[in-house]
Amino acid sequence: MSYRELTPDEIDLLIKTNCSSTDWNNIKVAEKFTPIQIKNVNFSGEVFIGNNVQIRNVMNISNYRIENDVLLENISSLIVEGETTFGNGLKISVLNEGGGRELMIYDRLSSQIAYLLVTCRHYPVFVEKLETIIRNYSDSRKSKIGKIGKGTSIKNCGVIRNVWIENSSTLEGVSCLKEGTLLSCIEDPIFIGTGVIAKDFIIQSGSTISDGALLDNCFVGQGVKIGKQYSAENCAFFSNSEGFHGEAVSIFAGPYTVTHHKSSLLIAAIFSFYNAGSGSNQSNHMYKLGPVHQGILERGSKTGSFSYMLWPSRVGPFSVVIGKHYTNFDAGEFPFSYINEENGKSLLTPAMNLFTVGTRRDSQKWPARDKRKDPVKYDILHFDLLNPYIIGKILEGSNRMKELLEKSDKDREYVSYKGLHIKRLLLKTCIKYYEMAIKIYIGEELLKKISEKETNGNEDRFSEVLKYDHSLYSEKWIDAAGMFIGKNDYDQLLNFVAMGKIETLDQLNDEIRKLDKKYPDSSWAWCANFIEKRFNLKIEEMTKEHLSQIIIDWRDNRIKLNNMILKDAEKEFDQTSKIGFGIDGDEETRNKDFQNVRGRYEENKFVLELKKESDEITAIADRLIKALMP
Amino acid sequence: MDKSEVQKRVKKVIAQVLKTKGEDIPDNANFIFDLGADSLQSVELVAAFEEEFQVELPEDKALEVQTVSDAVEFISQYIK
Repeated sequence: MSYRELTPDEIDLLIKTNCSSTDWNNIKVAEKFTPIQIKNVNFSGEVFIGNNVQIRNVMNISNYRIENDVLLENISSLIVEGETTFGNGLKISVLNEGGGRELMIYDRLSSQIAYLLVTCRHYPVFVEKLETIIRNYSDSRKSKIGKIGKGTSIKNCGVIRNVWIENSSTLEGVSCLKEGTLLSCIEDPIFIGTGVIAKDFIIQSGSTISDGALLDNCFVGQGVKIGKQYSAENCAFFSNSEGFHGEAVSIFAGPYTVTHHKSSLLIAAIFSFYNAGSGSNQSNHMYKLGPVHQGILERGSKTGSFSYMLWPSRVGPFSVVIGKHYTNFDAGEFPFSYINEENGKSLLTPAMNLFTVGTRRDSQKWPARDKRKDPVKYDILHFDLLNPYIIGKILEGSNRMKELLEKSDKDREYVSYKGLHIKRLLLKTCIKYYEMAIKIYIGEELLKKISEKETNGNEDRFSEVLKYDHSLYSEKWIDAAGMFIGKNDYDQLLNFVAMGKIETLDQLNDEIRKLDKKYPDSSWAWCANFIEKRFNLKIEEMTKEHLSQIIIDWRDNRIKLNNMILKDAEKEFDQTSKIGFGIDGDEETRNKDFQNVRGRYEENKFVLELKKESDEITAIADRLIKALMP
Repeated sequence: MDKSEVQKRVKKVIAQVLKTKGEDIPDNANFIFDLGADSLQSVELVAAFEEEFQVELPEDKALEVQTVSDAVEFISQYIK
């Protein structure tokens, strides 16, 4: 947009409406500037004003470019002082409060790049190169003039200093914003509400920060909600995270990290798809060398009300932590576990969370609850519950349990492993549950490849649809804050950065997107290789008999799993659940009260859907088997 | 194995897992409401029955067993 100088008449009119400037020559305006819309404003430094801009009662505006259709009203100070990067290039101490894993934040940061930067300290050249790339980008953001983007509305605010405000932001009643960027956009605006104090920050599109939230040295990704006096220091919150009431220090809140309750302190840990029960608490300090410890809660984990964990500890994917744990444990190999406390011991029950209503509901709700409306989505999210990463862990966990089972005497109640106790009696059962997950995984991946069309006709069709690109195979996998990446690709990505093959953030993002694009194929390569090992044959050699058996196993185990989930759902309608219903009446009153408030098990939406799913599974499997083996 | 023997051993297992006295367990006691078993203990009971009777019980059907008498009936089907 081109700007012109104010005319003498316009300056006179502005003075008449109680405006002043240290130098009117530094105030530039768009062609259709309407001075009548500016009242009671003090200008200093350079200010550019677009068309259809209303400014009223602003004590000081300095060094800003105000774009079209902006409303600024009742603001004490809106200034840029000196040259600034607007929060870009700032380092925040996530995961390790004592430092050593600083995350250099910038306005287009993704959870994947953040994950690599924070966790790959074993590769100093990579970290150094990546920081240089981010620093170069941050330097490009340097300016002495700030931006207030098109369609922005700022009302009733205190101090706003060195803040870059992108299009369609709404700021209402904010108390203080210093050194940061609001990367809003018309499709997914940012809202900053009353009483918010944010210093040194980046906030991406679609996020809401409100109701007295305190942010100090924080990154806030897309579609995040922080409010109700939440306080966070040195934290990164990635897409769809929510923080209310509680406190966070030095956390890497990966996508869908949710903490809603008072007394919850999340500290020095990495999370994703996480739900913190009320009063969840952790310690990263053992009163020795300072707050140097860290925790890992892998995707899909939950911590129960007033649970406590002592860092360092690691919780495997989709696990539930209940009770207070005063020992350091490592449950990273055991997905879908219950970790509860029994007489001061941390008790691990692997696979128990595989067949709970909670896990099923969570895995269904996350894709539906992606709040991001910005056409550019920075975090790449993979939602599949069973995948090479999780199944790889299930295989590791099964092997560990088999070893423990072999070594343990029958008279022992518990076996110990990495700070945890496992009931010996349950080892065999947990291995069986993991085996169910493996059979379901193989069947589902196979069903993605073959359809009924392929099952009719000759067998040669299978070799064509089941073949895989061996170059895409990676034995180990990584969950990079929401995105699954084969270890080979991950290593190559780090090397590309370290060796200077990737020199810009655009190149790095392109490379990560390429990995996302090939995920279905690389994931299948892993599964196909696994099938080959499991059945001791080449995938191209699979016969109709093999396929039928896999489909039968898939059907039987999916239905078995659904039945177990239904059994878990049934508990929500049992005698215990009715406690407190029909408060002043007899049993009949209690049952009627319960039915009218909670409904009936047989009519519950989740239950009906699960039963329908089981019917569909049976129908699909039966059709395929019939086609394969007429 | 006759049912009275199955019942005796079922009660022995329940007493071990739920840390209660076998003779105090009524024939029709419900694991959860009467004996206070939680969901983990329900799974543990199934595992303990499998070990005691050397049988493989189907996971989903086994979790439907809620009482001592159910357990006796259910396990009896799988004992050779």
